[in-house]
Amino acid sequence: MDPTVLKILLHEVINLTLDHIVLVAVSCGCAVLIGVGVGIAGTRHPHMRRVSVAIASVLQTIPSLALFGFLLPIPLIGGIGKHTAILCLILYSLLPILRNTIVGIASVDRPVREAAVAMGMTDRQLLRLVELPLAAPTILAGIRIALVTNIGTAVIAAVIGAGGLGVLIFRGVASVNTMEILAGAIPAAILALLADAGMSLLERKMAQS
Amino acid sequence: MVLLGQSGSGKTTALRLINRMLDPTGGSICIEGRDISGLDPIELRRSIGYVIQDFGLMPHWTVEQNVALVPRLRCWDAGSQRRRAQELLEQVGLDRTVIGPRRPYQLSGGQKQRVAVARALAVSPGLLLFDEPFGALDPVTRHEMQQQFLSLREQYDVASVFVTHDLLEALTIATRIAVLDRGRLEALVPPSEFLTLQTPVARSFLETLPDGLLNSRIS
Repeated sequence: MDPTVLKILLHEVINLTLDHIVLVAVSCGCAVLIGVGVGIAGTRHPHMRRVSVAIASVLQTIPSLALFGFLLPIPLIGGIGKHTAILCLILYSLLPILRNTIVGIASVDRPVREAAVAMGMTDRQLLRLVELPLAAPTILAGIRIALVTNIGTAVIAAVIGAGGLGVLIFRGVASVNTMEILAGAIPAAILALLADAGMSLLERKMAQS
Repeated sequence: MVLLGQSGSGKTTALRLINRMLDPTGGSICIEGRDISGLDPIELRRSIGYVIQDFGLMPHWTVEQNVALVPRLRCWDAGSQRRRAQELLEQVGLDRTVIGPRRPYQLSGGQKQRVAVARALAVSPGLLLFDEPFGALDPVTRHEMQQQFLSLREQYDVASVFVTHDLLEALTIATRIAVLDRGRLEALVPPSEFLTLQTPVARSFLETLPDGLLNSRIS
């Protein structure tokens, strides 16, 4: 292969990888805020828990390509570009984070919760001092699943013009160019592995403290 | 005062009413002459020592942090929290340098129990609630804990409400025994009079004692 072509491709891979990281980081960040927040609220209000888990579950069953497609024609929130893709990735990441937050807090031992309340903790103190620290490993596991899945799903964001490594893969598929497909797929796989390893490190750190 | 009754007779419910984990559907509860329904439940709970069933120690905290829970909620400075926790561990017969830094899962049942008692005493409460605290312990440890309870009660001179379904325990530590039957107070007597009670629940508890023991106590 011509070295200039290779250089251009390499340049493109780097840019698209950064694009990809932005998509994933922003959407995962928002999904964590929403998922953990709604999850905590869900442990206080059973009705909210049922409704939110139901919505997140339905969202998760929609094929990701279709979800991107659905959002396209919607005014304001939809359309071509990054913001639509990020919204879509947020919706897609919610379920594991939401569910693990609820499960993690619900699995705090009854006597522990009883004692905390009986000793005079307010609801906020119960949450901050007892429930969140004890649920942290479970919540982190949920975030880890969401993050790794998200890196894969973000590839599809390319079809609605949001950029990312999917650009190379879709172009490679369209032009039957294996080199281009690999140039998109390999960095995406590496990103996923790195994210997984990073989260596992974080989980171990949390378990030690 | 000891609350004695079978499972489901309302012993734990009575304790939970006292620290407003539950609110009564009727009637009122007074502590030192003040109706507690007018008090802030959070403040009330912090001023009452409570030893719950199954200990309820915070698994992610050290023993010392567990004991200092209420001082911490009351915003004592870290040094005072620590000093108080160490003092309490000594009082309940635990070695503060060895046990203090440990986590609850590293303790035996008896040690956990002592930590739970130390935690309840942390801010020298005006009232102590004990919910079957010694039920899960072996007989020898239970006896030790009962003796310790008596000496701590003396030392702190604090009113306590103690729930049990063990008649011998009730007779050992009570100044008054309240017999509960399905949410009703069946009898309220000093231990010396308990053996002569004729009410149904009191009788069925007395029948659990070995014959010889009962007769010798009565005569």
